[in-house]
Amino acid sequence: MHDTSVHAAAHHGPPTTFLRKHVFSQDHKVIGKQYYALALVAAYVGMFLSWLMRIHLAWTNAAIPGLQLLSQSGAPGGVMTPELYLQLLTMHGTIMVFFVLTTAPFAAFGNYFLPIQVGAEDMPFPRFNMMSFWVTFTAFLFLMASFFVGDGPSLGGWTQYAPLNAVGSVGGPGQGSGVVLWAISIALFCVGQLLGSLNFITTTLDLRVKGMSLMRLPLTAWAWFITSCMGLTAFAVLMPACILVILDHVAGTSFFVPSGTVMNDQILPHSGGSTLLWQHLFWFFGHPEVYIAIVPGLGIVSHILLANMRRQMLSQRVLIYSMGALAILSYIVYGHHMFVSGMNPFSSLVFSFPTLVITIPSTIVVLIWTFSLYGSRLRINSASLFALGFISMFVSGGVSGFFLAQPSLDIMLHATYFVVGHFHLVMGVAAMFGIFAGTYFWFPKMAGRMMNETLGKIHFWLSFVGAYCVFMPFHYLGMAGNVRRYATFVDDFLQPLIPVHRFITIAALITGFAQLIFLFNLIYSHFRGPIASQNPWEATSLEWSTPTPVPWNNFDKHPVVYHDPYQYGVKSSVGDYVMQASPEQVETEHDEK
Amino acid sequence: MANPIEVRKTGDHGAHVTPGIGKDVIVYVCLLVLAGVQFVMAYQNLTVSQMLTRMMFVAIIEASLAVLFFMHLYSEKRSFLIFVVVFTVSVLLGLQYGWTDSNRMINGAPYSEVK
Amino acid sequence: MSQADLTMEGHPAAAPMSGPIFSIPSKKFAMWLFIIADTMTFSACLFAYGFLRNGAPNWPRPFHSITNVAIMTFILLTSSLTMLIGVRASRAGDKPKAFLWIMVTAVLGIVFALLHIREWMGLIGEGMTMFKNPWGTGLFGSAFFSITGLHLTHVVSGVIALLAVGLRYRTGRYNADDIEVVGLYWHFVDLVWMFVVPLVYLLNLNH
Repeated sequence: MHDTSVHAAAHHGPPTTFLRKHVFSQDHKVIGKQYYALALVAAYVGMFLSWLMRIHLAWTNAAIPGLQLLSQSGAPGGVMTPELYLQLLTMHGTIMVFFVLTTAPFAAFGNYFLPIQVGAEDMPFPRFNMMSFWVTFTAFLFLMASFFVGDGPSLGGWTQYAPLNAVGSVGGPGQGSGVVLWAISIALFCVGQLLGSLNFITTTLDLRVKGMSLMRLPLTAWAWFITSCMGLTAFAVLMPACILVILDHVAGTSFFVPSGTVMNDQILPHSGGSTLLWQHLFWFFGHPEVYIAIVPGLGIVSHILLANMRRQMLSQRVLIYSMGALAILSYIVYGHHMFVSGMNPFSSLVFSFPTLVITIPSTIVVLIWTFSLYGSRLRINSASLFALGFISMFVSGGVSGFFLAQPSLDIMLHATYFVVGHFHLVMGVAAMFGIFAGTYFWFPKMAGRMMNETLGKIHFWLSFVGAYCVFMPFHYLGMAGNVRRYATFVDDFLQPLIPVHRFITIAALITGFAQLIFLFNLIYSHFRGPIASQNPWEATSLEWSTPTPVPWNNFDKHPVVYHDPYQYGVKSSVGDYVMQASPEQVETEHDEK
Repeated sequence: MANPIEVRKTGDHGAHVTPGIGKDVIVYVCLLVLAGVQFVMAYQNLTVSQMLTRMMFVAIIEASLAVLFFMHLYSEKRSFLIFVVVFTVSVLLGLQYGWTDSNRMINGAPYSEVK
Repeated sequence: MSQADLTMEGHPAAAPMSGPIFSIPSKKFAMWLFIIADTMTFSACLFAYGFLRNGAPNWPRPFHSITNVAIMTFILLTSSLTMLIGVRASRAGDKPKAFLWIMVTAVLGIVFALLHIREWMGLIGEGMTMFKNPWGTGLFGSAFFSITGLHLTHVVSGVIALLAVGLRYRTGRYNADDIEVVGLYWHFVDLVWMFVVPLVYLLNLNH
């Protein structure tokens, strides 16, 4: 922690060489964009993998042309083997959870906008920030490398349950080198996010401009701050767990393999380890991770809704407290992932209660949104549509959480498509909608050009309807007893469900193509979109006080904050809002203090 | 333009208007004594769990002394002390859920060592 | 809210920032945050150790003597004291004295690491590896080498940090604040050892 070049950027002026400017840049804005680009690539890779899986599920043993190029042994003649299916599943989950849902809303938008929103020139440790991205990028390379090394990626799922994660290649293809690469990748990822979290927390607490009290921070800044507090401690537990997995592979230890384990007709030489130990360590990270993915979305959606409904939230304070409560509770509910995996049955009761309690802050957040929206004249644009979509997904996915939170129901629903539908809606698609909303909202500031609204709305409706068509039937499948992680459904009782799977696959393909519209819109608008003004949405927070494109040190002159972050629905000289940095005094009808 | 970071880096930060090395030596001696107590405990005829409880008790006192006085947390702003202690302790407590499963390993059939 | 509450102290242009909330420099705050994270890392390792040990019927207790670990503890605790002397000297602006005591701390760290490695060598010589040992379950070696290895890594990186920061402090690139930050890290390494000793050594003492 003795970075010589802390603030080197501030001392030396803007970088001049291409490498310093665009590649090894210490500018938080460039790093934010790099994170965004990484997440974008990862998201499309992950989506492509899900297409392959969906096609295989709906048309069992259909040959997918070209699949043998991905894995010769895994897809002889283009027909996916069950092993390859599980490998794709693992990669889809890992890529999406770590490299999309964590990097995009938290690391990408947070890096770009947190310093601007608090009024800082940069983060306090620019070099750590740069390292944070490059370590994360290296982690992504390690993960991708497992496609090409040995017998492919791991097949253990993104949770990498023990003992499969520690037994080596006897567990199946990819359980040797694939798991080691996976564990190295995730351990590196943890280091990257730790460095990021250090920067985020110190930025929020130390670099606020004059007048920016904690309660004047925009909700996004709060969300990123709360998320980084979670990231700081959650990733710190996952990292040693990954190192123990690596030791099990390379040093012959057996932390996670119990004595006398028989796998594929072989008695394993390990003794004394515990499979539950891995689950405890993993889910102690894993549940906060869910909230690391979703809390920035809560912040982004609130931020965007406020700018578009032109009035204040019912209570901004309660929103902040609710996000904080989510963060705190997320540490004591992790056992609900382990209800049926051999955990002490008494613990199930202990974990069930806080799991049901955690729905309270979530519900409060949603109620504040809906009651604030009630009667407001919402400006409909791509960003606000995606924000509304986020609420919809968050509620739909959250409701099924009530069922899963109860051990007695979870015994039936666990490891079925019900769970898959639940977490895809509430954590996957909802967080993705948050990312999309953020992209449409902040693109003018990040790229200096506007995105195409028509394409944006088409993208929204296709994604919104598509996501429901994909993930709602998952719940029905689950209740019908369709287990997850099966490569094919040949059992009699699953045969009648195949048409539902075909419907889902077609919906998934269409929804996926809608994302190509988004990609086109993003790239086209980046080069050809209409030039954006400084404040196209008439929003109030500090990022809209800076010129577009944002200058190298963010502000031409240090802003001073005079107002709460969301002064909409007031009468001022510029319209119905007053910027945080505007010294103008206004009368408001909403008085929260 | 004035560099904000420059502004923050300068200036003495109140916590270190110090009374000198005497207090440090006292804390150091206390730590040595407490560490010695642990070593003595190791030679008592105690069961592992009794020993564990007592040693952890001493270790927590040691750690508190080190954090408060060696790392100067005591003389920082009180809000910072609360932030660090509450944050760390609450997350640490969250990690303790797993023990029930550990206790079952030796008694519960599927996970125990082959006798 | 009516905007009468523009609570600016003084002229805004005089100090553009609100200032650190806990009145400590950002570097020091970041080090504290790192320490919180690292606490979790060590706790996870010690938790794993306890979890496995608790469930193992044939956990070995191979240590016969506490002399070595007592010396190591004494050295590490003393190095914390020398670090404090260095920090105080740097606060007082006494550069040569501060530098001297930082170097003493680094040397003590090196001695600690050497003693540790010597102890490892002894255990390896007795037939203990990461996965088996002559006395009982192989997990003992796994846990012992992992936890003490993690701690040793921290000590070694601490020594490197002390040398780097100390040398640059002498040449003027770093100031007293930086000395204090590296001091915090060093005390933390000491603090972890206070838990490693009873859990990993003393509970495995055979007497």
